[in-house]
Amino acid sequence: MQRLVYRYAPLARLAHWFGAIAVAVLISSGLQIFNAAPYLDAADRSTPTRRVLSIDAPADGVGRTTIFGRSFTTTGFLGWGSDGNGGEGARAFPGWLTIPAYQDLADGRRWHFFFAWIASLAWLAWLVSSAVKGNLAEMILRPSDLRKLWPMQAYYLRLRRDPPPHGSYNPLQKAAYTFVLFVLAPLIFLTGLALSPGIDAIAHPLTILFGGRQFARLWHFVGMMLFVGFAFVHIFQVLTQGFFNQMRSMISGWYRLREHENVGP
Amino acid sequence: MKRRLFLASSIATALAGCAPIGTALNDNSSFHHVLGFEGRLDAALMENLPGRAREYSLADISKHFPVDSLPTPTSTAYQRLLARDFHDYTLSVIGAVERPLRLPLAQLQRMPQQTQITRHDCVEGWSAIAAWTGVPLHRILQIARPHRGARYVIFRCMDSDSQGTPYYESLDMEQAYQSQSLLALRFNGDPIPPDRGAPLRLCVPTQLGYKSAKWLREIQIVGSFGHLYGGKGGYWEDQGYEWYAGI
Repeated sequence: MQRLVYRYAPLARLAHWFGAIAVAVLISSGLQIFNAAPYLDAADRSTPTRRVLSIDAPADGVGRTTIFGRSFTTTGFLGWGSDGNGGEGARAFPGWLTIPAYQDLADGRRWHFFFAWIASLAWLAWLVSSAVKGNLAEMILRPSDLRKLWPMQAYYLRLRRDPPPHGSYNPLQKAAYTFVLFVLAPLIFLTGLALSPGIDAIAHPLTILFGGRQFARLWHFVGMMLFVGFAFVHIFQVLTQGFFNQMRSMISGWYRLREHENVGP
Repeated sequence: MKRRLFLASSIATALAGCAPIGTALNDNSSFHHVLGFEGRLDAALMENLPGRAREYSLADISKHFPVDSLPTPTSTAYQRLLARDFHDYTLSVIGAVERPLRLPLAQLQRMPQQTQITRHDCVEGWSAIAAWTGVPLHRILQIARPHRGARYVIFRCMDSDSQGTPYYESLDMEQAYQSQSLLALRFNGDPIPPDRGAPLRLCVPTQLGYKSAKWLREIQIVGSFGHLYGGKGGYWEDQGYEWYAGI
C-alpha cells in the first residue's frame, strides 16, 4: 500500500523556498557582476594566456563567446544583446538575465551579497532541520547505492522495466542531493569568499587552494553552471514525477510514497 | 500533457520574471535601503580583522597592469607639476593632527622606503600584481600625530570626473595604520607614471582597488566624513559602492 509519510520539517521547507529564491537572485546578480569583467582565467592574477571563457563584442552588433580559444558568434544573447534599458548594446549576459536589468555593478553586488547570506543561512537551516527533525539520513548517498546508479538511469531511459529496489529516495536522487548539498554548495560558498581581498588577507590558504583569485572566480562560475544544471533536472523531475505530490511534500511536509519507494535510506 | 505544458510554461515565465521583478525592487528606495544593511554587516564583521595581503615574488608581477580609473588630471596645476617632474609637489597633512605637515616630494623620497609585491583586486573582477615602493602611511601618521577622537583619514586627489567631481577616498584609523597601507612613489621600481597616479598614490592591498586612490594631493584627518561630497567617504562610495571594500 502506498502510504503518506512526513518528509520535511517546517524549517526545512521554509529553508528550501528561501534558498530557491536566493539562488535565483544570486545567479542573476552574479551574471550582472560577471558582466563588469566578462572573462575567466585559470590563474591567480588576470592572465589572458590562461583565459578559459570570454564574452565580448568585437564590433557593434556582434556578440562573441570564446571558450578554450574557440570562438562562437552569439549575437543577441551573449556579448551583444538587451542592455536592460530597452535597447541593445555590448553586454556579456543580456538584461533579461541580470539583476538589475541595466548594467550596475554596485547594485548587482548589493543584491549578491545580501542574498548570499540568505542562501547560506537557508543551507545551514535546511541541514540542521533535516538532520534533527527530518530525513537527512535517507537522502545521503551510501556506498551500497553506487551499483544502483546505472540501473536507475537505465530505468529512466526506459532500458529497464523496474527501478532497482531502493528507499525513500532513489539512488540518482541521493547522488544529486548529496552532490549539491555537500560538494556544490560548499564549493560555491568558499570560492565566493576566496574572491574577497579582505578574506584573502586573513585566510591565504583558501584562495591558494582554488588556484588564486581569478581561478576562484572561474570555480565560482563553474559551480553556478552546475547548479543551473541541477535546477533544470530538479524542476523537470518535480514536473514529471507527480507534481502535486512533490509540491505538497515541500509545502505541507507530507509525501505519498510511490511505487518502488520505501521508508528508509 | 497539456497540464505539464502549462506548468512548464508558467515556471519558465516565473524564471524570466525574476530579472524584471528584481529591477523593479532595485528601483524601490526602501528595498534598496534594506539591501544596504548587508554592507554594514560586512563592515562590522570584517573591517578591522588583523589580516595581511599576500606578498608575491618578482616572477609573479603582471606583464600588463590595466589603467582603469578617472583620466589623468588635465588641470593646469597638474600639468605644471608634471612639466617640472613634480619638483614643486608637496603632500599636505591637515585636520585633526598635533602637527600639520607639508611634505615635499624629495622629503618623501628620503624617508625609509618599503617595497611590497601585492595583488590589486579591482571591483570589476580583474586582478594584477605589481611591486609598490613608498612610505608606509603609519609613518606619516606617527609624525603628524592624530588627535584622540580622530577616526578617519581622508585622501583628496587631483583627478576629477567629467562633471568636475573630484576623487577622494577614506580609511579608518586601523586600516590606515595597517602596515601594508602604503603611500606609493614607485611602481615596479620606476617612479609612478602619470596615468598610474604620479607622483604619489595610495596602495591598500587588503581592499578593492578603488581604495587605492591615485594623484594624492592632501591627507586630512577627521572625526567623520558625512559632510564631505556625497557623504559616503569616497568617490565610488558616493555612487553606491561599499565604504568597506574588502569584499
